[in-house]
Parts: sequence; C-alpha cells; structure tokens
Amino acid sequence: MTDTSLMLAGIVIGVIFGYVLQRGRFCMNSAFRDIILLKEYTLLKAVALAIVVQMIGFHLMATMGYIQLNPKSLYWGAMIFGGFAFGIGMVLAAGCASGTTYRVGEGMIGSFVALLGFMIGGLVTSGGALKELSTYLKSNTALTTTDLGISVGPLVKESSTSLTLANVFGLDPWILVVIIAVVVLAVLVWKRGGEGTKVEGTLYEKIFKMGWSWWITGIAVGIIGMITFWTFQNYALGISGGWFGFLNALITGKLPRLASGMLNWFTFLVIGVVVGAAIAAIIAGEFKLRAPDAKRLLQQFIGGVIMGIGAVIGTACNIGHILSGIPQLALASLLGGTFIVLGCWVTAYIMFMRG
Amino acid sequence: MGSDVKPTETLDVRGEVCPYPDVKTQKKVKKMKSGETLEIILDYPLSAERIPRSVEKMGHEVLKTEKTGTGEWRILIKIK
Repeated sequence: MTDTSLMLAGIVIGVIFGYVLQRGRFCMNSAFRDIILLKEYTLLKAVALAIVVQMIGFHLMATMGYIQLNPKSLYWGAMIFGGFAFGIGMVLAAGCASGTTYRVGEGMIGSFVALLGFMIGGLVTSGGALKELSTYLKSNTALTTTDLGISVGPLVKESSTSLTLANVFGLDPWILVVIIAVVVLAVLVWKRGGEGTKVEGTLYEKIFKMGWSWWITGIAVGIIGMITFWTFQNYALGISGGWFGFLNALITGKLPRLASGMLNWFTFLVIGVVVGAAIAAIIAGEFKLRAPDAKRLLQQFIGGVIMGIGAVIGTACNIGHILSGIPQLALASLLGGTFIVLGCWVTAYIMFMRG
Repeated sequence: MGSDVKPTETLDVRGEVCPYPDVKTQKKVKKMKSGETLEIILDYPLSAERIPRSVEKMGHEVLKTEKTGTGEWRILIKIK
C-alpha cells in the first residue's frame, strides 16, 4: 500500500473504532479494576467477547491465507516489568491507552493531560534517558523458538521470535482456539444479564444516543480488529505506538514510520479514534470540556508517563497485547497482559480499597 | 418521586474522573440512613450507567436517572 492509502485507511478505521469505543465506553482500566473494586463485570464481558471474536476471526483468516499471525517477540523480563508499570499507570491516569484516547474526544481535559504524559514517557523510554533500561531488560530476557528447540508451526509468520501458546506446546492452534472460545462463550451466555433495568428507545436512539450493550460493543470491536489486520497485514489494532509516532513526527517534522520502513499507520488510526469518539459524543449530547482539580490532573499526568514507560518496555499497551496479541495466542501478550492486570489490581487496591 | 422533592443529601462529582464518582457515591451511601435520598450530579458518561447498576446491587433503590444537559446527568437514590 502507498503512504497515502495507509494514511486514509488508518484514519477511516480509527474514526469507526473511536465511535465504537465511545458508545461502548470500552476501557480496559475500568474492565479490570472494577472486578475487584465495584464487582462490576459489564466491560469485562465486552473485552472477553472482543478477544474471542478476534481469536476465531484471526485464525480463520490465517487458515484461508488472508493474513499470517504475527505474535510479538517475547522478552519475559520486559513484559513483566513493562506490563506491571503500565497497569499502575493506567489506574493513576484514570484510563488505559484506548480509554484515555477516546475520552480526549469526549472533551475530558484530564485524559488529554494523561495522553501528553503518555507520549512523553514513551519517547523518553524509546529513545531518551530510559532507553538503556529498556534495552537491558530486552537483551537479557529474550526467548525464541531456537532457545526452546521448537518449530513455529502453522498460521504463524516464520520467525524465531513467533512464540505462541500453540507452538510452545506443539499443538494445532485450532484445538486451543476451540477450547478457549467454547469456555469463554459459555461463561458469557451464562452471565449475560446484570445490565440493570432495560432502557427503552427507538433504533436511532439505541445506536446514536444511548450507551451500547456489552455484547454489541464486543462484537463490533472484534470485527474492527479483524478488518484492521486484513487491511494492514502486519498487525491488528494498536494505540501506543501510534501516539509515540505522533509526538515523534511533531518533533522531527518527518512522517512517522515503523522499523520496517512502512508508514506508521497507527498514528493515523489514533487521530481517527479521537475524531470518531468526538463525533459519537457530540451526536449523543455527551461532549463537554471538563477538568478535575489540579491534584487529580497531576495524578493523571504522572499516570500517563508511567503508562508510556511501561508500554515501550513491555512493547505494547493493553490494546496491542490484550486486544490484539492474546487472540493470536502470543506468549508475549499473555505475559504482558497478565502483568497489566496485576499492576492495575495492586494500584486500585492501594488507592481505593484500603481502610 | 419527582425532581421537586428535595433530596436528603447532594453529591456533586462533576469534573471527577474514573472511578471517583462511583467510589464517592459508595462511601456516601454507606454513611446514610434507611429512607434517606441521595442526589448525585455528574458529567462522566460511564459512571452515569455504572452507578445505577452498582447501587441496585447494593440493595438500594434508584428512583431516577436523567440526562440534565449536554454531558450531565442526575441520579436519585433511595437508601434501603
């Protein structure tokens, strides 16, 4: 694809993704934190469904030859450290990478401040003062298929860094996909209620004015992820690399590019997300410029910086790992995602639940 | 109960970020007595949907959830 078509595709998919994120209030910080804090599982159900839809979708597309799964490289020390830091940061920032991005579109100044911190923390770690720490953690804890003496297996990009749950155990990926999908879908059907009183409304109001049900949000996010992977081929949805590329492009005055030389379409995707979320919020009458007090703004800024450091060291945010990596059964993302959740829980406990 | 009835207490959490509207509501609700009413004014969309759900789970009654303006909601709760 040419630069122009990558740009356009990124923006168009971003706008749709942003619209869905805002309508579905899709934020993984809330989804995971609320398990322990509010005993609220609505957003968690949306996240779980989006993961399962993509897990089936990605493996179907790979089986039919439309894509090749591209799991992230595994650096276990970096995934543990970076994931945990990201989890701490998102509670302080009051939103994960996707939650913070869509809330900027809703007019939340606190999320805008968190986003500034996120981009700064990211660039400081990818090319600045904390680069050594990141390099150290990655170079000393890398694991490859050669180290483990295994073959990459079917559906996955032929590379020694492509570690998945399937090839590590020498299984056909479809066996795992079917087992995980059946278990998760059974739990979701069993626990489908709990959304409170049914709200009445016309179809127009349900689409444009009211918050979406978890299952509509989950399916919509899952389908957008599949379209993204099929369109760009190298990966599915991602947020953090897009924002780091955005700030980098502003500083250097050059178009953002990935390591491979491909245009960093994630940057255009995240810009689209802000626009899409703003459109959704304006139509629904929810757009409002609002800000918390100074103390909270500072807390969100610091949280953003920690998230940025974590996302670079752990090589992805909650979207790159949990939403896009886990459906590929990527070992790096399962580890990174687990530590994002643990960091979130420890911080939420300390901040909100003691005493 | 209409909006003309004066609630026992009012909690204004406009401007607050996730999850403070929910956490502050829960703290307030736990301190209040049976039969009292609490009015919550907020401008965070996710909490406008989540607070009625979690308050009902705590066993209290949600008398009203209304959108009072652009990005603003009012929730009225009766403590059980």
